[in-house]
Amino acid sequence: MRPLTSRRVFNVCALLIGVLFVLVVISLRMGAYPIAVRDILMTLINGALGRRDQIPSEFSLVVFGLRLPRIALGILVGAALSTAGAGFQALLRNPLADPYVLGVSSGAALGAIVSLIVLPFTPGAVQVAAFAGAAATIGAVYFLGRRGGQLDSATLLLAGIITASFLSAVIMFLMTILSSRDLRGMAFWLMGDLSSAPAVDLRWLYLLLIVAVGSIYTTSSDLNLILTGEQEASHLGVNVRRVKFVVYVGASLLTGLAVSVSGAIGYVGLLVPHVMRMLFGTDYRVLIPASAIGGAIIVVAADLLARTVVAPTELPVGAMTAIAGAPVFIYLMRRRVR
Amino acid sequence: MFVALSVCAQHTNAASRQAEEGSGHRSAGNLVTDEVGRQVSIPAKVNRIVTLSPDLTETIYALGLDDKLAGDSNYCETPPAAKLKPHVGAPLNPSLEAIVALHPDLVLASTSINRRETVDALARLGIAVYASDPHTVRGMLDSVRKMSELMGSSAAGEALVGPLQARLDDLRMRLSELPLAHVFFVVWQEPLISIGQNTFIADALRWAGAESVMLSDQNWPHISFEEVVRLQPDYIVFTSNHGGEGETQLADLRARAGWKGLRAVESGNVVVVSDELARPSPGMVNAIEQLARELHPEAFSPQSTNGKFVSRSRDQFARRASPEEGCVLCAR
Repeated sequence: MRPLTSRRVFNVCALLIGVLFVLVVISLRMGAYPIAVRDILMTLINGALGRRDQIPSEFSLVVFGLRLPRIALGILVGAALSTAGAGFQALLRNPLADPYVLGVSSGAALGAIVSLIVLPFTPGAVQVAAFAGAAATIGAVYFLGRRGGQLDSATLLLAGIITASFLSAVIMFLMTILSSRDLRGMAFWLMGDLSSAPAVDLRWLYLLLIVAVGSIYTTSSDLNLILTGEQEASHLGVNVRRVKFVVYVGASLLTGLAVSVSGAIGYVGLLVPHVMRMLFGTDYRVLIPASAIGGAIIVVAADLLARTVVAPTELPVGAMTAIAGAPVFIYLMRRRVR
Repeated sequence: MFVALSVCAQHTNAASRQAEEGSGHRSAGNLVTDEVGRQVSIPAKVNRIVTLSPDLTETIYALGLDDKLAGDSNYCETPPAAKLKPHVGAPLNPSLEAIVALHPDLVLASTSINRRETVDALARLGIAVYASDPHTVRGMLDSVRKMSELMGSSAAGEALVGPLQARLDDLRMRLSELPLAHVFFVVWQEPLISIGQNTFIADALRWAGAESVMLSDQNWPHISFEEVVRLQPDYIVFTSNHGGEGETQLADLRARAGWKGLRAVESGNVVVVSDELARPSPGMVNAIEQLARELHPEAFSPQSTNGKFVSRSRDQFARRASPEEGCVLCAR
């Protein structure tokens, strides 16, 4: 393997950001409301220069009111999910780990459904409740998953899986007995959907994203060592416990963040880190930023398809990622076997 | 990316400012409270309407306002002309862009099938959305009247609702002395779904001189077949979206284990009414009359009791794609 230089990390990131940028422009162009590329560019330039008065109001509404916020949300969710996935895969040393395996999405969904029952249609309530549900689940699984005061990956995985199925059953129960309420939104929520942008300022969410991804990134050299074995790593002076704690909290925060604004979009957190590993190697110093940008690319692309393939009807983006993700995952798995 | 993001954020502020200015500018328009309690500023002159649910589309056509209908949902199939209007997507997840592209002055949504999230998202974009929330037949008629006012056609609303009200009063008079028929209303067969007490279908049954045997607070309860056996309804009522061979539904049930043992099936008391019964729109009154004639022929003059109103068909649900959709079609 070639030695990793910061130049290489920079190049990989620049390449991926380039791809993401092209995709964003394509995404801005496509949709039920037809706008020419030239008009998109003019709108963006005028918007960036603050010359809002020179933009036709309808373009402004579609580009800045609908498409750009949705793309920004997609980037946020994709980056959060795949960084969390890379983090959990390292933490649990299990290639099947993903942000949802620890029951986080079920906890978030339960929080969301409870908020729809208690505080129907309060702006932001669903997001806050979903985040609280995710956090509570993560905390519970963390305590259930310890053995002898240490995080044990097999116990943690089992605790997560059991918690997830228990919470899903509670959700099914609630949805059945409360069928007279308007819980139609839940179906989209459980599938993962970007169509209804949350009434939360995205800048705060991005700040959280950067803090969490940054803190996981600071552990990346240690993660490389831990992957060779916890004993060896601690002999080399790595504070294994601290690293695990930081990654666990960071990845959980990212998952809660993503689930609370978009519902449970599957496969992104599982697949993107694997693909990035195949493309750019297993070094976490490149894997974490590559996963973050790669995840953004995948979610923006999936959402582009979700809102255009059966336009004007929109598919939940989670359906798109699952349709594309499951076959890719099986392909990767078979390749590994061979 | 961060530039784009801050542009977005600025825009959100600008949009809300625009919306405020807009409402100030449109002070000629009226501020109304819709049926879910939202404040909506509706322009004085409504020339372009988008409907997000089939019952509202039917209402627009019944009011004769279809020339103002700029677009409707993918499920809007009645009257047939509604299929030719530009569609904005399925009622549960329409494309906001497609709605914006139609420049509507007013968007009509219904709690029976649309999501509150859609309504709120459109409102955030500064589009006037009126959400209707019909729970009873009378409530539906009131809602039609209210919407006709918003669209500047209260005369058309009165002309439509008045006669419907008269027909309902006539039904009430004819049926007042008769005992209620105990019916089991089938929303979906596999899995078996019926109606709760607080649905507009339950109310429509009462207008037709019937009562649902299902007592449930849930709107669309999934129930076990055992419960139907225990309840032993006098009649089993289905809906169908097209007329067809009258006896097939009955023959079908007679061939099915379980169902064939029900008293209602044995004595042939299986009624199929127009699926207008399942949509809270003015056409509902037709279906109520049809059902009343089926259940209480003695209340009507002899020549109208020959059953020509009955339409029965085997594949009544075949056109519907899934149980969920079926549920949604007659939701609330």
